[in-house]
Amino acid sequence: MTALIYGAVRKTFGTNVALEGLDLALTTGELVSLLGPSGCGKTTALRIAAGFERADSGTITVAGKDITNLAPHKRNMGMVFQGYSLFPNLTVEGNVEYGLRTRKVPAEERRRRVGEMLELVQLSTMAKRYAHQLSGGQQQRVALARALAIKPEVLLLDEPLSALDAKVRATLRDEIRRIQTELGITTLFVTHDQEEALAISDRVGVMSDGKLEQLGAPTEIYRHPASAFVARFVGSMNQLPASVLGPDAVQVAGMTVATTAGAGLATNQQVRLLVRPEDLALVEENAGLPGSVTATTFQGTSTIVAVRLDALDALVSVHTRGASAAAITLGERVVVGIDGTRAVCEIVTEDAA
Amino acid sequence: MATSMSMSTSTSSGRSEKRRRRLGRLGPNLVLITAAVFFIAPLVSMTRFAFQTIPMVKLGWSTLFDRWSLKSLTEAFKEPFFWPTLALSLKLAAGTVFITLALLIPTGLYVHLRLPKARGLVEFLTVLPYVVPPIALVAGVAAFFRPNARWFLNSNYSLVPLYVVMALPFTYRSIDAGIRAIDVRTLVDASRSLGASWPATLRRVLLPNMSASIIASAFLTATVVLGEFTIARTLAKNTFPIFSFDYFGRKAQGGISLALFTLVGTTALLGFFTLVTRGKARRQVTRF
Repeated sequence: MTALIYGAVRKTFGTNVALEGLDLALTTGELVSLLGPSGCGKTTALRIAAGFERADSGTITVAGKDITNLAPHKRNMGMVFQGYSLFPNLTVEGNVEYGLRTRKVPAEERRRRVGEMLELVQLSTMAKRYAHQLSGGQQQRVALARALAIKPEVLLLDEPLSALDAKVRATLRDEIRRIQTELGITTLFVTHDQEEALAISDRVGVMSDGKLEQLGAPTEIYRHPASAFVARFVGSMNQLPASVLGPDAVQVAGMTVATTAGAGLATNQQVRLLVRPEDLALVEENAGLPGSVTATTFQGTSTIVAVRLDALDALVSVHTRGASAAAITLGERVVVGIDGTRAVCEIVTEDAA
Repeated sequence: MATSMSMSTSTSSGRSEKRRRRLGRLGPNLVLITAAVFFIAPLVSMTRFAFQTIPMVKLGWSTLFDRWSLKSLTEAFKEPFFWPTLALSLKLAAGTVFITLALLIPTGLYVHLRLPKARGLVEFLTVLPYVVPPIALVAGVAAFFRPNARWFLNSNYSLVPLYVVMALPFTYRSIDAGIRAIDVRTLVDASRSLGASWPATLRRVLLPNMSASIIASAFLTATVVLGEFTIARTLAKNTFPIFSFDYFGRKAQGGISLALFTLVGTTALLGFFTLVTRGKARRQVTRF
């Protein structure tokens, strides 16, 4: 069952198009992330769902009810903001209780619910503290408890982790996912951090210039990007100049690479072949393109090897595993093999070339 | 040898550092002492003149502790116009504070949330009363209202809108600082998303978190009203400052004691509000 539907939502700010006919449906209980660079329209989409911005056209439906023109305080949405949004004049429990008071929930029920929520975010011992007595991570956990206390139909998360340091961010990210799964609450999560989006989402929507470029499971987005933009934005990507040989092969520096990425393109079309570091490998001689190692980055379970290819004078990153990878030295001659199964072709325009 | 030389060098450089620091402190201390003398000496002189029943020519070091009395003040309290004029000025202050806050809080919030680009213009407009002399303001007002709405000028409360304008340069700044000190947009959005209407958001979130600046603004407004002379005199209103001035003309000692009474009263109020709002102001600062 769908919980939140964007129906051809369009929004402009002056001449700037923030959303270009967004269509998106969230099923009940799933966590969907909107991922994209600054200005891609993801936050606007979230604020339209919350009612803080009005769509120029299109509809917002929650559980079958059209709420497009409903005031924010009449929508049953819980929201956690990027900035610290706790009310400074209220204690932690006062903040969590706020939404229940506005709904005129009886005192006894309010107390019970506040207790439950603080337990859920593991802050029961801090009920009497004020915002300035909490760390950033604790404040965002209280904000989450406050948003959930009103039992919202949809939970909206507007980059709630971006102001936190890396360690707290990772912990809170996992906690958000745990709580979301535990409560089964439909959640729309906006972020510019691909790692965050891929780690906790059921589905990820990658946005660019007000449009949804691709919507799919994290593995699908990573493994089978629908466009060059998605391929580049999610994860790291090597770019190799190539020409199309046919529907199932391209040529890179004289070497034929089996890939269906060029299907639909004209033979001899000049393209950029986008290949992930883990789809490149150090191989035996004559099985790839020769080059020299310029840098190695040891990352615990794997090593990233930077190789300058002789034929292209281009630098590529190769993701390698195993003990032999750690023994690679700078300047060492290696051969790089390309697995084109998951590669993407991007047409080279005259300007770009 | 080399060691002892380096030691003596370091000792002398330490001494010169100390001397430099002492000299560095001298400048600011001198300014502070001069300022203190500049402000405190007249106050001490006023206090002695008002509360020592000694002829002025005999006020010297030898008579510092002689014949102190609150008689001049208690006599002023017994004047028939003391309480009515004080009551009128307090009512005018209350009215001015109410209208100022009722106008400026929504304006400040609206400008901040909806018209951030207009902030500079609004600031400029609120400073204008500062550059227009009160006499010019009241002359214009009298010239317009006397033929068109005499009843307005006849009322003592016609002073309220003029005082609102007079207080604008101080009060708007204070309210604006209060709004800037909190993340208004996020707090409003958070409150609205939790089901609170605009009035509820204002009452439960914005006003409590702006209380320090609201109280400061109210206090500044009241101070302007309790000290305003030109407009009241021109419009022939018998306010407390007018009474104090006239009383000073009749009884100089009593007039000065009233001036000190007003000064101590407003300072005590300021101290009280500072104490009350200190905790709240501290809560508004987010620390990590």
